[in-house]
Amino acid sequence: MTELVRTYGRGLTATFLGLTGIWIVLLIIVPQATMIEQSLWSKERGNAISLEIDRAYTDLSMLEYDLGEATDEAARAEKQAEMAQLESRIAELEVQEQDPPKIYGLQNYTRMSGLHFGIFVKTIVYSIMVTVLALVVCYPIAYVIAHLSTPNKAAILLLGLTVPYAINELLRVYAWLMILDYQGVINSLLAVLGFVDLDAREWIPFLEYSGSVFVALIYAYILFMVFPIYNTLETLDKNQIEAAKDLGASTWRTHWRVIIPHAKPGIAVGCIMTFMLSAGSYSVPQIMTRGTSGDWFSQLIYRQFFESFNWNQGSAYAFTLLAVCILFIFLMMAVFRVGIRDIAK
Amino acid sequence: MSVTATASATTANGRAAGAAAPARRVSGANWSDAILNAYLVIFFIYMFAPLIVMSLAAFNAYDYPSVTQWRGFTLQWFGELAQDQRILQGLWNSFLVAFGVIVISIPLGLSGAFILTRLQSRWNGLLYAIMVSPILTPGIILGIATLIFWRNFNIPGGLFLTMLAQSTFIASYSMLMFMARLQRQDRVLEEAALDLGASNVMVFRRITLPFLYPTIATAAVIAFLQSIENYNTTVFAIGGDWTLVTEIGSRFRFGLSPVINVIGVIFVVITVLCAVAYTVYRRREQERAKAG
Repeated sequence: MTELVRTYGRGLTATFLGLTGIWIVLLIIVPQATMIEQSLWSKERGNAISLEIDRAYTDLSMLEYDLGEATDEAARAEKQAEMAQLESRIAELEVQEQDPPKIYGLQNYTRMSGLHFGIFVKTIVYSIMVTVLALVVCYPIAYVIAHLSTPNKAAILLLGLTVPYAINELLRVYAWLMILDYQGVINSLLAVLGFVDLDAREWIPFLEYSGSVFVALIYAYILFMVFPIYNTLETLDKNQIEAAKDLGASTWRTHWRVIIPHAKPGIAVGCIMTFMLSAGSYSVPQIMTRGTSGDWFSQLIYRQFFESFNWNQGSAYAFTLLAVCILFIFLMMAVFRVGIRDIAK
Repeated sequence: MSVTATASATTANGRAAGAAAPARRVSGANWSDAILNAYLVIFFIYMFAPLIVMSLAAFNAYDYPSVTQWRGFTLQWFGELAQDQRILQGLWNSFLVAFGVIVISIPLGLSGAFILTRLQSRWNGLLYAIMVSPILTPGIILGIATLIFWRNFNIPGGLFLTMLAQSTFIASYSMLMFMARLQRQDRVLEEAALDLGASNVMVFRRITLPFLYPTIATAAVIAFLQSIENYNTTVFAIGGDWTLVTEIGSRFRFGLSPVINVIGVIFVVITVLCAVAYTVYRRREQERAKAG
């Protein structure tokens, strides 16, 4: 602190501290905390309260009848007092019925239906599959670019990968909509080969399978695996690989014992990013299903907010997703034995 | 970002020295090289073929985006795009949001970087984790949290909330860039200026900021691109407004037409042009470095 003040003075130091504080508090922590708080309560417009109001009205009409029957003054006054009390109780209950009190608890989490839970599990499983597949496909690519190419060739290859990477994910995924469409590229190819008959509308409805979301997810996020792995592989001294080879290690052994251990932070980052992007992707399922079906967890969250207007339930779903992603980060950190500092580079 | 890494040219390719190795081993290496190269080619086809399919459909005179039902070459969809008010407005909104994001996230990222690189406290690890956490959080969560929090102040979803939600994570990216730059700073200059009687503000303005200018420029470009491209965060925070990308997103539900493909073509062309310009720039820099 004293060093910062000595170099830049109190004013600038205070500005740095203030801006950082605003960022951390107003943009990161408090909004997240508000979301979690929102997920922990609900307003129940329960049947119990309606029943109680009905019963109170019945009691009231009984009292009214009693009042008509009653003859002496004292009994009448007593009945009237009772009626007034009951009426105020009814008014109170009716306010509660209109605006039920917040009830805190885990009900938003425990109430997830079997259907929604199934979608949740499917989203996670698919995202893990996307991550594993992306790793298997991208590791050789990153290795070839980093160690088997001349510098010029590597520069061109990287640039070639940057082009699809830089194009908007909606537009990138959109291409797959056209490829898998009823009369899309694949169905047309199959028709040419005589497997399907487009005129008879006997195409294969790829877009109705959730596998199509999977295909598009891989395409959309695969490059998030290439670049982190490339960045770590690029720093590996080629002599280490040569040394391993000279000492008689097979290609597999060299990769397993020398190259992969060095690439661990990159692999961890790639896995975390790919998983997080797939599990939280709203765009890809939105496009592949053309917004009509909602069988991806992010779509469920969206509908809780903007179609059911149940923000409490939506927040609970959102936090569930966040929790899974945090768990995944810790899992990767443990598996690859890397710290948070290695991760965000 | 990652492209710059290639600049570090590793010249000593050890494989060239292996000429004396037994012939059998060389042919084995050739085989595996051929397989790897073929793999690379297939991967590139996989990355580019869909983009080509999407681009072609922009020129098809058929009102559903398709390359298989070819009805002849046309430029009519370009004309329609130029007249599409919602898309033009969306583009303008995207620029507004991106501008706001730059204005918010650069100072935040810069401050965060100063605090983390110059303030050695035991809280540094935690602070760092908090400040990079938005990058590792799914985009939709950032949008949702922002929406819920600001509703307490009766600020509904819209362009302003979109700026805030996007800045949450874009500031993290700029912070990482500034940290990388600050760690390479030679602190002697600042010390010398102070010894020579410069005021604190003067040191910051005349020494630290000029040192950071290139990074500020890069961070602004990255922030701009990230903001324009963003969908998952924006779709939750945008409310009744729209940006170019959310408008494209809603077209998939209502009114899918080749106009979207035209936008795709424009994106592809701009990206390729930028990539080529970057390569030419790099090559010139390298030649100048050699000549100098």
